[in-house]
Amino acid sequence: MKFLSTIWQFLNRSFFRLGSPREFYKISNYVTPVFGLLFLVLTLIGSYNALFVAPADYQQGDSYRILFVHVPSAWLSLFIYIVMASAAAIGLIWRMKMAYIVAICSAPIGATFTAIALATGSLWGAPIWGTWWEWDARLTSELILLFIYFGVMALYYAFEERTTAERAMAVLAVVGIVIVPIIHYSVEWWSSLHQGATVFREGGPAMPPSMLKPLLYNALGFTFFYGYILFLRARNMVLDNERKSKWVQELVNKEHNKEAH
Amino acid sequence: MSPTQKTRLTLVSFILVGVSIATFFALKAFNANIEYFLTPTQIKNGEFIAEQRYRIAGLVKKGSLNTAEDGVTRIFTVTDCEADVVVNYVGILPDLFREDQAIVATGVINSESAMIAGQVLAKHDENYVPNEAADVVMLAQANKCNDTEGSVKY
Repeated sequence: MKFLSTIWQFLNRSFFRLGSPREFYKISNYVTPVFGLLFLVLTLIGSYNALFVAPADYQQGDSYRILFVHVPSAWLSLFIYIVMASAAAIGLIWRMKMAYIVAICSAPIGATFTAIALATGSLWGAPIWGTWWEWDARLTSELILLFIYFGVMALYYAFEERTTAERAMAVLAVVGIVIVPIIHYSVEWWSSLHQGATVFREGGPAMPPSMLKPLLYNALGFTFFYGYILFLRARNMVLDNERKSKWVQELVNKEHNKEAH
Repeated sequence: MSPTQKTRLTLVSFILVGVSIATFFALKAFNANIEYFLTPTQIKNGEFIAEQRYRIAGLVKKGSLNTAEDGVTRIFTVTDCEADVVVNYVGILPDLFREDQAIVATGVINSESAMIAGQVLAKHDENYVPNEAADVVMLAQANKCNDTEGSVKY
């Protein structure tokens, strides 16, 4: 019990430490390059295996290999939304500055991954299904996700005053979370042209380890890419939002002096 | 947690529950419209209006692909192992089109429950299999209808 309470206290403390923009900036100095490095290493291993080691599919031949970009992007589009909505909820409840920054910085990254998932899916559908686009449940709900991301960004930048913008954006982000289960279960609840789940399904993944491994490497690599870009964007936003505070001005002066010498 | 934070937490939870319930009913109301296709069994049960456009999906029945006397119309049977629908189609069939392959055909269903299709798409399932192991899977697919009682999922 003592052990658990120590862990809980540690998590609690680090949660509120990260909640301070200044502490976040300090920590991000170390975390950001680590994320970038992990992204490079994992994605290189994953992509090499995806292109040269994984066998061709019996039905789709080599064209199935677009899956190694399509599937991680689609997973990330949902994962980033969950992170964004959770951060938005934390911001609404605890009025935490950093939570809002994480939420708004996640939106364009999530929108990009959604767009990549839609575009690669379209490129894949053309030769295999015989069509670029069909209004089935999975494709349509993923397109709605893209529009929700756009809505979150548009709402944030539509307000002059930051606190109003943050709250409005956060409410939309929280409400929009209902699309996530709909996208995930769309291929189960309704009939669709899109295939059912290959990896997260009852009875284990319906693909051999030689295909599954590069897919998971890429998925993890893409996740670290998200972390890397999120931290870069959040650092910029912290400096901009806190530009009047003493610690940022000291930082700027220090950099300025460095350049002068 | 301070009292104001608790109030905000309840508020956020209420918003979430409300939106979820609203979405649930909206989706329930549109359920039939969200369905992408009808199955041959539904056609057999008469769940369609003649001379209306529908999508149907099923497996291409073994040995059913023929060309009509005009030389361009392809005629084949689509099945879900329980019921069959005859499809007439003029055009190029997708690369993946072959016996026991799941396909989606869009077109008008006439009064004899046959479809005059304007579009035929291939539908691939969630199984990814290396070439070396293909024979086993092909065999399983070919006997799909023999191995199951009633209609089959595709």
